[in-house]
Amino acid sequence: MVKIFIDEKPFEVEEGITVFTAAEQAGIEIPHLCYHPAFAPEGTCRMCLVEIEGVPKLELSCATVVRDGMKVSTNNERVVEARKGVLEFLLADHPMDCPICDQAGDCKLQDYYEKYGMFESRYSENKEKREKKRKIGQTLIHDQERCVLCRRCVRFTREITKTHELGVFERGVHAEISILEDGPVNNKYSGNLAEICPVGAITDLDFRFQTRSWFLKSGDSICPLCSRGCSITIDSHKGFSHFKVPKRVYRIQSRRNENINGFWICDIGRYGYGYINENRLEQILLKNEQNEAMDWEKALKILSEKMKKVHPMDRSSGAVLILNPWLTNEELFLIKKFLIENQEFENVYLIDIPDGEGDDFLITTERSPNKRGLQELGLKAKSLSSDKLPEKIKLVLAFTPPNIDSAGSASVKAVFDKAETKILFASNKNDLSDVSDMVFPTAVIAEKSGSLINIDGVLQNFSPALEALGDSRPEWQILVEMAKEIDINHKYYDQFSSPETILQEIRKEISDFGKKSD
Amino acid sequence: MIKQIGFFIEIVKGSIITARHFWVNLFFHILKLFHIKTKRKGAATIQYPDVRQPIAYRHRSMHRLMKHKDGTPRCVVCMLCVTVCPSECIYVEAAEDPDPEIQKYPSQFIIDLTRCCFCGFCVEACPEDAIRMDTDEIELARYDKEELVFDLDKLLG
Repeated sequence: MVKIFIDEKPFEVEEGITVFTAAEQAGIEIPHLCYHPAFAPEGTCRMCLVEIEGVPKLELSCATVVRDGMKVSTNNERVVEARKGVLEFLLADHPMDCPICDQAGDCKLQDYYEKYGMFESRYSENKEKREKKRKIGQTLIHDQERCVLCRRCVRFTREITKTHELGVFERGVHAEISILEDGPVNNKYSGNLAEICPVGAITDLDFRFQTRSWFLKSGDSICPLCSRGCSITIDSHKGFSHFKVPKRVYRIQSRRNENINGFWICDIGRYGYGYINENRLEQILLKNEQNEAMDWEKALKILSEKMKKVHPMDRSSGAVLILNPWLTNEELFLIKKFLIENQEFENVYLIDIPDGEGDDFLITTERSPNKRGLQELGLKAKSLSSDKLPEKIKLVLAFTPPNIDSAGSASVKAVFDKAETKILFASNKNDLSDVSDMVFPTAVIAEKSGSLINIDGVLQNFSPALEALGDSRPEWQILVEMAKEIDINHKYYDQFSSPETILQEIRKEISDFGKKSD
Repeated sequence: MIKQIGFFIEIVKGSIITARHFWVNLFFHILKLFHIKTKRKGAATIQYPDVRQPIAYRHRSMHRLMKHKDGTPRCVVCMLCVTVCPSECIYVEAAEDPDPEIQKYPSQFIIDLTRCCFCGFCVEACPEDAIRMDTDEIELARYDKEELVFDLDKLLG
């Protein structure tokens, strides 16, 4: 530990860290464009200049290591003046097309101008004309005019993906970021480039011109598209009071989480949000009564009648339960307690989600978010595609994941074809929603709270990033209400008012649940 | 009881005032027909729609979207009008312009006049002077509400 003074306040900080990090830990903000905690400092933007006592020139806080007794000023007159000067140089050749720039609202340059700049332009010359739309990747467009040459993108392809697609070409005023001859940026993490760009130089085709960032509401969630469980923020638009907007979720960005994904997410997770927007089930459907409005109370009553009709003697052989690895730990626990142990469903199957291509960074081959939770809860489920089905099926309760593929739905359909009563719990329309006797709309991971255990055994809690759509409800809530409706041990289920209370109950039974991280 | 009498008195008083205005105005209007006392205004306002007052220079009337010389809309889809609109009656959708110099153009621009409060904030917010409220069109009554939802073609005129 060394003792340093930042703005005349003493702080004890670790040895070997930079002045910038020390200030960050002390809660002092130093403006920066090129510095990113994931990369080695480069010092191209000169925004983070600070004054250090005894050093004649201003120093780069992102690249200067702390020394014992160092006295740093981050906000004195000289620093403020230098900062303003740097900003003026950066903005001298900036196109100032903020009104049509997708980054406006999220832009660091914009923020810093408002906070530290506020000068009139003294640049009377014509601005340099450059290419506005250079396609540098499958989903990326680079605007040479807006670029401040912070080289974050170059460092990303060099240090993180090690694919080396980008570089800085030419010199001086003609310097520009571009792709090498090998071809455009083509890696599974390319979407991060648009996210780390501090200005609007790199824009994402998926989000480009779709909306303005200030209309969006951000919510934290976990990516369910593979078993890594990366932390994400979901940006959604609630629409205007008289106009519907074409999408609900507009973009997914990564959220810093040192334990899981660092600063990054893959393109599968970034662009794979279609299931939240499209083909959603919003109403309870009951076969032959499509036009009748159904509320949950009535629907659950009908469901419990249907369940009671199956004689307990038939339950072990004639009732089938189909689960999927998108269910949270809490929901799986309720299924285990209520459906398997109490209602004696013995034929429990799991929908197989086919493996995808993985890599050694974030993407895992296993494409289901909570298979590990299923194992840790001790739920023994047979494989739906390879294990034998019972001869006669009276009742099926099927929970299907949003991204069920044709093979998956075909395997569930095989069960449905044999069954008398078919109940489906699904968030999205699929091949099964038309052939089921009852369809209950459920919330997707982004709309509910609960916990998932990722491939390394890390238990992660999450809360809803957006409101549930229409009449849909999270499965845990449906299960609790179902249990109450069937009226078994009312007291036990009354305590489950939220996923947290259920997790507490799980921990009572399995004390080291979710703590067995590898 | 006394309270009710009080009300009754007020009603009578009001009726007398209304009646006085009516008869006085009627009297002067009849005089006007015979070209007597023509300068006295009477209580009648302007004989709309036969007589119309000139519209003030800064009057905010029906919106219009401005065009470039080549006929394309001046709007750059910055959505500042959408942002500033207090009654959320503007809806704009952008599309990528094939021209490498131009970023985006409006593929949809809808103003729902049934909701518009004619505050003129959209005109003030526009950085491109692409929307104006200077058409002097103030008679916006329609038989059908749908006709009051103006789209891009109607707004470009």
